[in-house]
Amino acid sequence: MNFKNFSLNISQTKVSRFVDELAAGKFMATLCKKCGKKYYPPAADCSHCMESDMEWKPIGHEGTLVTFTKIHVPPEHFAVPQPLMPFSSLRLEPCSIGLLEVEDGLKIMGWIPKVDVKKITVGMRMKAMPEILPDGNITIVLEMV
Amino acid sequence: MRKVAIVGIGQGRFGVRSDASLRELAFEAVKACLDDAGIPLGEVDSMVTGIAGDEFALSLQPAAQVHDYIGFHPKPNFRVEGACATGSMALRTGMMTVASGLADVVLVVGAEKMTEVATPIATEIMGKGGDSTWEYPFGMTFPGYYAMIANAHMAEYGTTEEQLALVSVKNHYYGSLNPYAHMQKRIDLQKALASPVVAHPLKLYDCSLITDGAAAVIIASEERAKAICKKPVWIAGVGLATDTLRLADRKSLTSLSAVQEATKTAYKMAGVGPADIDVATVHDCFTIAEIVAYEDLGFCKKGEGGKLIEAKETYVGGKIPVNVDGGLKSKGHPIGATGVSMAIEITKQLREEAGERQVKSPEIGLTHNVGGTGQVVAIHIFRRE
Repeated sequence: MNFKNFSLNISQTKVSRFVDELAAGKFMATLCKKCGKKYYPPAADCSHCMESDMEWKPIGHEGTLVTFTKIHVPPEHFAVPQPLMPFSSLRLEPCSIGLLEVEDGLKIMGWIPKVDVKKITVGMRMKAMPEILPDGNITIVLEMV
Repeated sequence: MRKVAIVGIGQGRFGVRSDASLRELAFEAVKACLDDAGIPLGEVDSMVTGIAGDEFALSLQPAAQVHDYIGFHPKPNFRVEGACATGSMALRTGMMTVASGLADVVLVVGAEKMTEVATPIATEIMGKGGDSTWEYPFGMTFPGYYAMIANAHMAEYGTTEEQLALVSVKNHYYGSLNPYAHMQKRIDLQKALASPVVAHPLKLYDCSLITDGAAAVIIASEERAKAICKKPVWIAGVGLATDTLRLADRKSLTSLSAVQEATKTAYKMAGVGPADIDVATVHDCFTIAEIVAYEDLGFCKKGEGGKLIEAKETYVGGKIPVNVDGGLKSKGHPIGATGVSMAIEITKQLREEAGERQVKSPEIGLTHNVGGTGQVVAIHIFRRE
């Protein structure tokens, strides 16, 4: 899978393996072999000790929701052309997004498609899951445990 | 380091300026600024231009357009960028130029033409001011980032949507008294609370405006400042600090550590503390940002920002008047111009030229300008003679 299938923006990076691992159901961080600092999202280089000798490690994907929102005015890429039909005020319901703290302060960002925003609370237990979209792209969703 | 003062200020009307291009907006500000300083452009030695986005300007070298249009050749000009803190970064760079002795009189211009592109595109351009690789695929926008800060602040401190809306009510009130403001319209609490949701829990009236505008100041060395101007306003302290690009990598989601760092530096340099500040302009890109700013600047205790606005302590006559020019919320937020416009308001206040919005005899003022979600923060402290 191309990294752009996830980032929707760039395709060229040293950590493109992340996307293939995600497609296989794994959330991968990189770990600096020298100082042990862990990076999620993965980084090819360690800013802590300025080394580039990293190994890939799966991280837990269950944790606590630390914050969330639901964006009703999306950026161009996600915007539905308006109006959908003349004289119509029909709008697609947007999807909530959250930050899930899984371990060591590492946080996974993901969509929250299955919980009403009014029922989402900071501190909720959730798990992050990969999701292949109908257009072939891949993303991350957060679900109730 | 040499002392540096603001000796001239000028800005054009902020708003949806479909009548003017970027360079024409900048010209309005520069012309007003030269008139205020009472000097010709020929007396200016050097220039710094703050413009945040090539994508808004639809060009690669927008600062060159501004420089060319005011006819400043062959003297130096360069562009400075720091997302929404671009204007203050330009002022800081201008100050460094004068303080170092490289120039005696410097023109600092901040400008942004944001409405040439459609709103969803503007939203996308700004959203990419976050992490365009790891956060963009989740449709993140700036209202989205600050909504995440708001939800975390509400969960931790019990801050309410009403308290957020009260910031908007205040800033719209003062915007209605500012002839340069984008929205010169008062609103009440009900109107703010009933406005459509932009990013839960932030509503339309919690969000600053997509605005066209430009602002300019002229700064000078002590000797030149005293010759040019009767009421120089001294730059007494500066602070610049940075934080992680991604909100997710922060230890705290309810404060901006770069604000705390930059403020510490600026307070120390000016030899003052939060209780000494008589008037402030803060980066209210969203109402939650103003509440977090009260706390990070030390105007109240952590978690009590909501109570500070509830008690109207940030109105003129309160403990610490904040954004009595309307703030980004009502005056508008043409990105590159914002930091310069903040310095203009504080200069007006310290010169006691703010009319109906005037704070009583202020001696010391502060500007707080935040880039990204707190990735880069510039603080300036100003003092009158």
